[in-house]
Amino acid sequence: MEIKTTTEDGVAIITPSGRVDTSTAKAFEDGVMGTIDSNNKIAICFSGIDYISSAGLRVVLMAGKKLTALNGRFALINMPEKIFAVFKMSGFDKILKIYPSFEESKSFFK
Amino acid sequence: MLIKVKNNIEEISRVCDTVSRFCVENDVSDEKCHDITLILDEIITNIVNYAYPDDKEHELSVNIDKIGVHITIRLIDSGVAFDPLTVADPDVNSTLEERKIGGLGIFIAKQLSNDFKYSRVNGQNQLDIRISTQNGEKSDGN
Repeated sequence: MEIKTTTEDGVAIITPSGRVDTSTAKAFEDGVMGTIDSNNKIAICFSGIDYISSAGLRVVLMAGKKLTALNGRFALINMPEKIFAVFKMSGFDKILKIYPSFEESKSFFK
Repeated sequence: MLIKVKNNIEEISRVCDTVSRFCVENDVSDEKCHDITLILDEIITNIVNYAYPDDKEHELSVNIDKIGVHITIRLIDSGVAFDPLTVADPDVNSTLEERKIGGLGIFIAKQLSNDFKYSRVNGQNQLDIRISTQNGEKSDGN
């Protein structure tokens, strides 16, 4: 798994690519949790993800909990439909902020 | 089609690839193929992580077939007795702070299945899963 991180308007945008499953969840976790150590405004961009299992959802939930505890901001952006379906099925759409694009998440991060 | 799987996490991507090929050969849509792959990923991950308390190599079997408009999957493992249907569903209405980490894999597998049955047969765990290849058939989960 490749993970790119860029910063825009003070928000760290983490963009992983490929599959987030049991075998790649550790790399995903390291990338996300490592970024939280240096920034409490985080967006995960899912445009390059075509598969996520509960191993990946676990990392997203951990990140959400940690950023809430830190009074940070956390959003999920650019989610393909089949990835969104897995989040919705798990009830994560009710506890996490999901936006169609980074542009649309900007007011949340302000 | 019978797939033999060793109790090793590395095996899961091979199973997913094999199942994807099975779906293409049987004209199963990409969307349903995604669901079938995810179900198997979650269930096999669970078996590999929890079914065998020793450090030895074990083998489980996955039988996948297309019967009419349904995909049927039978998973058999010789691990400790474990009925996934006894695992409480996560509370999908809890707040972020309350939401527990874990327990999601089996829940997702049940949600995506139209039929999900467990039996203990000859000292082995047997899971029988059925998934409709057509959209719209309601998943009963349990």
